[in-house]
Amino acid sequence: MQTLVAAVPAFLASVVEFVEALTIVLAVGVTRQWRSTLIGVGAATLALAVIVGVFGTAIVVLVPIGILRLVVGTFLLIYGLQWLCKAMLRAAGAKAKHDEASIYQRQIAELTEEPPVPARGMDWISFTVAFKGVLLEGLEVAFIVVTFGASAGQLGPAALGAAVAGVLVLSVGAALHRPLARVPENGLKYAVGLMLVTFGTFWAGEGVGIAWPGSDAVLLVLLAAYLAFSLAGVWAVRAMLIARRVPAAAVAKE
Amino acid sequence: MRYVRAFGAFWYDFLVGDRPELFLGPIVALFLAWVLVRGGVSAGIIGIILFAAVAGVGALSLYLTARPRA
Repeated sequence: MQTLVAAVPAFLASVVEFVEALTIVLAVGVTRQWRSTLIGVGAATLALAVIVGVFGTAIVVLVPIGILRLVVGTFLLIYGLQWLCKAMLRAAGAKAKHDEASIYQRQIAELTEEPPVPARGMDWISFTVAFKGVLLEGLEVAFIVVTFGASAGQLGPAALGAAVAGVLVLSVGAALHRPLARVPENGLKYAVGLMLVTFGTFWAGEGVGIAWPGSDAVLLVLLAAYLAFSLAGVWAVRAMLIARRVPAAAVAKE
Repeated sequence: MRYVRAFGAFWYDFLVGDRPELFLGPIVALFLAWVLVRGGVSAGIIGIILFAAVAGVGALSLYLTARPRA
């Protein structure tokens, strides 16, 4: 059970972030140079592995579990609420949905304006864009892996969940050679937001001294309560937009 | 110094972003829960209050984003 608690959210969040990273990597590789792009991806992956290994291990070894759950739970609660509110706004039509196909086209348009690829050696533009894209998207994965893994005492399964997601997304992306626009990213973000805010509330609550009635079983109650809140929120925002006769996604564009 | 500022800006953007209420709200909610725990209130009641406070912060943020503007 604890293994799944750590692995499933890490897997789902990683699918979302790796799909976004894949779009950037494909755009750079296709328009510029694959070799430098892949070196950038490798360097960023190595940096992320070091971050997860060093910070994850240090946190698990050095920080007492009570303090860990308070701090990590608070971060998860904050981060999860941000994800959930954005997902609710997207579901209500108040925020533009994430569209990998259009992001891919925009990336390609930006990259074609860069100086040409050098005839020999490294193309540092390919390297930098791929490195930065994978590192920034991967940092969100690292954050979730370290926080979930450390709090559940299951750093290995959380890292494994993220690694499986990475291999899966990269394999499908390499086979199709185009962005994975059909992955239901917005739905996945909604689900991950719900999980983060649920576990964040549970662990941070334990951290401030709440002895949850029913222990771990209260997680299901919290999840159901946040789901009900989020559905009501989506309905309310949609009603606000209809009352104002605002076209979908015109309130807050990404 | 430039790197320190950029590092700070990255983490500010990562955790606070453009919705500071979603950063401060949960911290205030947890502080309230801690006060209630110290006051001996039952765990079930505190759990309900904590959930309601977090959901309230989320609702406020949704309203601030989708509200009519002049």
